Amino acid sequence: MTVLELRDVHRVHGTGGTAVKALDGVSLIVCPGELVAVMGPSGSGKSTLLNLAGGLDSPTSGQVLVDGTSLQSLSRKQLAAWRRKRIGYVFQDLNLIASLTAAENVALPLDLDGVRKSRQQAEKALSEVDLDGYADRFPDEMSGGQQQRVAIARALIGERRLVLADEPTGALDSRTGEAVLRLLRSKVDAGAAAVLVTHDARHAAWADRVIFLRDGVVVDVSQRDQPEELLSTP
Amino acid sequence: MSVKHGLLALLERGPMYGYQLRAAFDSATGGTWPLNIGQVYTTLSRLERDDLVVALPENDGQRPYEITGQGRAELRKWFSSPVKRGDRPRDEVAIKLALAITTPGVDVAKVVMTQRTATMRTLQEYTRLKTQPGELPWLLVLDAMIFQAEAELRWLDHCEASLVRYETQAVPEPADVEVPR
Repeated sequence: MTVLELRDVHRVHGTGGTAVKALDGVSLIVCPGELVAVMGPSGSGKSTLLNLAGGLDSPTSGQVLVDGTSLQSLSRKQLAAWRRKRIGYVFQDLNLIASLTAAENVALPLDLDGVRKSRQQAEKALSEVDLDGYADRFPDEMSGGQQQRVAIARALIGERRLVLADEPTGALDSRTGEAVLRLLRSKVDAGAAAVLVTHDARHAAWADRVIFLRDGVVVDVSQRDQPEELLSTP
Repeated sequence: MSVKHGLLALLERGPMYGYQLRAAFDSATGGTWPLNIGQVYTTLSRLERDDLVVALPENDGQRPYEITGQGRAELRKWFSSPVKRGDRPRDEVAIKLALAITTPGVDVAKVVMTQRTATMRTLQEYTRLKTQPGELPWLLVLDAMIFQAEAELRWLDHCEASLVRYETQAVPEPADVEVPR
């Protein structure tokens, strides 16, 4: 089943002569177990695509479906609840709440929905990102890489199957950044679906598919080959 | 890098015969540079001719080779010398792109995109290989290929941006150019 689908999505900012086509007829399908990277120069529409996929913005025309439900068919309240339950975000600047512990940050989406035993689920999610024993630490007591792991745990807690990551390794050094991508890859291999916006080809290369945007249009798609094909290349 | 120095480096571990050398070479480079057995024996013959290795008596129908003192000196020299950029094969992609720009009727942007898609795909596969366990020598070779592919992608992005800038600049017609007298 498709987790995320964009159907001929257009997004125009402004009107008349000053109108800017941020996305111009983009269609995209992301399935469980699939990591899709989005690359392109500044202003190509990468962040717009991610905001639309997460219901943070609405298309001018076209449809965005998450788990088969059109986000435009939901009221604002329904959309907020849908986002909390289905979509996880990982941002470059983490957006962890400084006054909450790691476990409280991770459990927050569940607490907002009144889910019981959220603490247990948060500890399990932290354990899955190799942060056993860090539940009661505050963000400023953790390294950048550990904080990003907390953000990934928060993105994937509960029933969420879609992770949207915007330059999640931007603030990290090369080795820690790679560890974060390995983690994201392993969560996707375990059945999640993810869209990763990045300007770094080495990071995009962890994806199954890399799409290139320019001026709001998908101009190219790169999909992984079979390894045998690669190794037989002279 | 020459096969000659690769074989000398492997023989520094101890005497080996042709098939063992080929297997050891494959193992060290992760199979990214497959040698055929003919290349191995041809190189061994040259090394023997130049007194860099010596053939030992046959054992079970296989003739092992051993590195000589002169061979060790050559190996030390190789390890202590940098590889000069000029010694590496010419970059076909750069040459192809340069020719594409100066050849009438070629869609240069398409040439760039075609190459970028292929290089990105290769980078994806190298990255996938990184998820598999491997010995340090092979992982370092793999990292080298990853960084080279990444560098090519960055250069292709740069080419694309340069092409856009170039196309938006007004190019004067030859007749409008004032020729200095």
